[in-house]
Amino acid sequence: MTATTLAERTEIRAMARELARRELTPRAAALDAGGQDALHECWRLIVELGLDRALLDEHHGGAGLGIADLLATIEELAVGDGGIAMSVLLCNAALTTLVDEQLAGVLAGTRWTLVPAASGTEVTISEGKINGKVVCALGAHGADGLLVVLDGPEPAALAIGAGAVGSRLERDVGQMGLRAAPAASLELADVDCAPTSGGSVSVAGALALLRAGTAAIAHGIARRAYEMALEYAHARQQGGVAIIEHDAVSDMLASMAVRLACWPQIGVDPAGLAIDEAQALAAKIAATDAAVASTTDAVQVFGGTGYMVETGIEKLMRDAKYCQLFPEPNWVAQDELMRSERACRAA
Amino acid sequence: MTSITAERSLREPERSLREQYPRLLPHENRVDVRELERLRARAHSFAEEHVRPRALEIDRRTGEDPSWFDWDLVRAGAEHGMLSFLIPKPAGGAGGLSTQAAVVMEELCAACPGIALIFGAHALGISPLLLGGPSQWDGVLAELIGSERGGEPQLMACAITEPEAGTDVEDPDLLRRARITSHARRVPGGFRLSGTKRFISNGSVARWITILMATDPRRAAETWTCFLVDTQSEGFTVARVEHKMGQRACPAAELTFDEVFVPDERVVGREGDGAPETMIVLACSRPPVGAIATGIARGAYERVLGWLEEDRAARGLLERQHVQLALAGMEEEIHLARQLYMDAATELDHAALGGVMSHPGVRALGHVPASVRGRAPVRGWLASDRARDATVALLHRTTSERAVTRSLALSSMAKARGGDVAMRVTGAALELAGLRAGPVRAELEKLWRDAKLCQIYEGTNQLNRLEVYRGLCHSETIGCLPPLRGIHPGTNGRAHTNADVHAHPDTGALGHASANGDGDRS
Repeated sequence: MTATTLAERTEIRAMARELARRELTPRAAALDAGGQDALHECWRLIVELGLDRALLDEHHGGAGLGIADLLATIEELAVGDGGIAMSVLLCNAALTTLVDEQLAGVLAGTRWTLVPAASGTEVTISEGKINGKVVCALGAHGADGLLVVLDGPEPAALAIGAGAVGSRLERDVGQMGLRAAPAASLELADVDCAPTSGGSVSVAGALALLRAGTAAIAHGIARRAYEMALEYAHARQQGGVAIIEHDAVSDMLASMAVRLACWPQIGVDPAGLAIDEAQALAAKIAATDAAVASTTDAVQVFGGTGYMVETGIEKLMRDAKYCQLFPEPNWVAQDELMRSERACRAA
Repeated sequence: MTSITAERSLREPERSLREQYPRLLPHENRVDVRELERLRARAHSFAEEHVRPRALEIDRRTGEDPSWFDWDLVRAGAEHGMLSFLIPKPAGGAGGLSTQAAVVMEELCAACPGIALIFGAHALGISPLLLGGPSQWDGVLAELIGSERGGEPQLMACAITEPEAGTDVEDPDLLRRARITSHARRVPGGFRLSGTKRFISNGSVARWITILMATDPRRAAETWTCFLVDTQSEGFTVARVEHKMGQRACPAAELTFDEVFVPDERVVGREGDGAPETMIVLACSRPPVGAIATGIARGAYERVLGWLEEDRAARGLLERQHVQLALAGMEEEIHLARQLYMDAATELDHAALGGVMSHPGVRALGHVPASVRGRAPVRGWLASDRARDATVALLHRTTSERAVTRSLALSSMAKARGGDVAMRVTGAALELAGLRAGPVRAELEKLWRDAKLCQIYEGTNQLNRLEVYRGLCHSETIGCLPPLRGIHPGTNGRAHTNADVHAHPDTGALGHASANGDGDRS
C-alpha cells in the first residue's frame, strides 16, 4: 500500500468534488430514473480517475489510497449521487477482499460488487457448493463480478463471476434509493465456490468498510440536502419575506447544520486499511439516522415543490433511507454493536 | 406475501369504532354510529377488493407516466358510495361531514393513500359547495350524484395553491402579503378567471373544480372568492401533471386559466368571502388528512406485523424485545393519532358546524322535492344575494368564530401529529423489515414515500402548529365566518354584529378578529 501525502489526499478529494459537481449532479436525475447511458458514462469517469480500485496498490492497478482517503472521496461523490458513491464503495470493498490470485483475473474497468449475506439463513455452503438467495443486493445488477461475504461464526468470502453456472440475477425493479447502484436478487443453486477469509482486507474488515463507507455516503447526501435547502430558503418567498426568515424554516436548517457539524469521526489509519469495527458501526448508525432526518427536513423546507421528483430533493431522502437500511438496518447494527461490546468485556 | 398481509388488514374492522374511539357517543356527537360503521364497512370492503390489489401496480404505472389514471377504480369506488358520502342528503348523498370523511380515509389509506387521495380530493372539491347552502344542492352536487348512479362518475377538485403562494394562501394573514398572480375579473354576467394553480390533486381528471381567486390581487385577503369552474370551459388547460414522490395514483396538476368565464350563479357563497370559507374548509379537511396519515401508519404496521408473524425470513424476530417495543410504539402512536383526528372531526361536526346541517330551516328545505326546488322562482331565490346572506346569517346563528377557530386548531393538531406519526411508523416498519424483506418491502417503501406528503399538504405541519398556537395556546379568534351584512342574529346569548370583525369597507370581507381574543375566550 502506498502511503499518500496530505497534499495528495487533498487533491484526490478536490478531484472527487469536481467530478461530483460537474458530472454526477447534472446526471443525478437520469441515474435515478435508471438511465443506462448515464450510468455507463459515470462509471467510465470513475474508472478514468482510478476510483473503482482506489484501495488497491499500484501493483494491482490501483491508486493506493488508504481507507480515510476513500471515505473522503466517496463522501464527495455522494454529494453528486449517492448511488454512484455506493457503487464505488462496493467495488473497492469487493476488490480488496479478493485474494491475490483472484485479483489477477480481474480485468481493468470491470465493476465488482460486494454482497453481504447472512450465513445459514440466506445462503449455505456445503461441500464446495453455495446455495441460497439474497434479495436487494446493491450494485449486483450489471456487475462483472460478485463477492459474497458471509457474516456469522465463520466469516467467509466467495467470488462469483458474472454468469457463473447455477447463479441467477434478477433486477430489483422496485429499488427505491441509491438507484445508480442497481440492485438485483441473487439466486445461487449449487454454485462452485472456494471460500477465503479475505485478501488485503478481511471479511470482517470488508463489512466494517461497508459500514464506514455508508456513513460517508450518508454524510455526503446530507450535505447536498443542506446546500439545496439553504439555497431554496433564501430564494423562496412566503408571507412577503424569504422563507429563511421564518423560524419554522430556519429551525430546520439549523438542525441540519448541527447534524453535519456532529458528523462522527471514524478511527482509521490515514494510509492503511485498518478500521475500527465498533466505530464504523456507531458511525453508520449516527450518520444515516442524521441523513434521514436532514433529507426529510430538506423536503419539508421545499414544501410541495420538494415532493416533486424534478426538484431532486426527494431523491436524497430515498437515498438516505437506503443508507439507513444497508448493509443492515440500524437496529440490527445496534445489536451488533452491543454484541461486540459484550464480547470485548467477556474477553 | 400479498395474501398474508391482506388477511392481516381484515382484522382492524373487527374492532368497532367505539372500541377504537371510546368517546364516540351518539347523543353527544350527533353521529349515527351504526351508519358510520356501515360506511366504514363499505370503505373497507372497497379497499380490500379493489384498492389494495392494485396499489403497487398503479404506483408503478403512474411512476412511469404521471398522467395515467385508473377510471375503473373510480367507477368501483362510486359503486361503494365513495364519491357521495359528503354530499347532503337532499342532494342525494349520504350527508356526511368531517367524521365520515375521516373514517373513510383511514380505511382507504391503510390500503393505498394515493388511491384514497382521489376520493379525498373529490371530497375537498365538494366542501366549499356545502358552505354555499341549499342553492348548491340541485346544481353540480345533484349532477355528481346522477353521474355516479349512471355508472360514469365525475370527479371534483379544489384549487387553492399558486406557483408563488403555497402556505400563503392557507392563512388569512399571510394571504395579505402573498404573491398572488391569478385574477378573477368582473365582467357582465360573471367573472373571467386568469392565472395558474399548482399541485392540484385530481386537477387533470376533475369535471368540476372549486377554485379560490382574488377579484383584486392587490387585496387578495379581502377579495378572495370561491368559484365553481367547469373544466370543459374555454380557456381551461391542464398544463402539466407532476411526477410525485408518492401518492401517485392521484394526479397533481398545474392548471392554467386563460379568461375562463364563470357565471354569477357559480360564485360559491359571496364575492370576497373566500378567506373565511377557506378556513372552514381547512377545518373540515384537516381531520381527514390526520386520518389519511393514521391509515398510512396502520397500513405499515399491519404489513410489517403480518410479515413478522408469517414470513420465513422473519422467523424468530418477534421474540426480540426490540421488535416487540417497536411494534408497541407503533400501536401507541396510531391509537393516539386516531383519537386526535376523531376528536377534531367530532368537535367540528358537533360544536362548530353541526348546527347548520341540522337546523330546522335547512331540514325543512331538504324535504321540499327537488322538482319544486328546481322551479325557476325557487331556484332564483336560492341563488339570490338575499339567500346567500341568509346562509351566512345561519352560520352565525348556529356557530361562532371562536368555535370554528378552536375546531381549526384541533384539526391542525390532528393533521400535524398524524403526519409525523405516519412518517415515524412507516420509517420504523421499513427499518424492522430491512432491504431483505422480500415483497412486503415494496409496500412499506411505498407507504413511506406516501407518508411524507401528509406533512406537507393542507398546510405544512409548521403552519398547522402555528394554528394550534393561535387557536388553543393563545386563545385567538380567527375571522373564519363570512361577515354578516345587515342581519343581527343572536347566537347562544351572544350578539354577533359586523363590528365583531374587521370588515373591509368596500366588500365587507373580514380579516382577523382581535388577535388577543379579547372578549371571546371560551
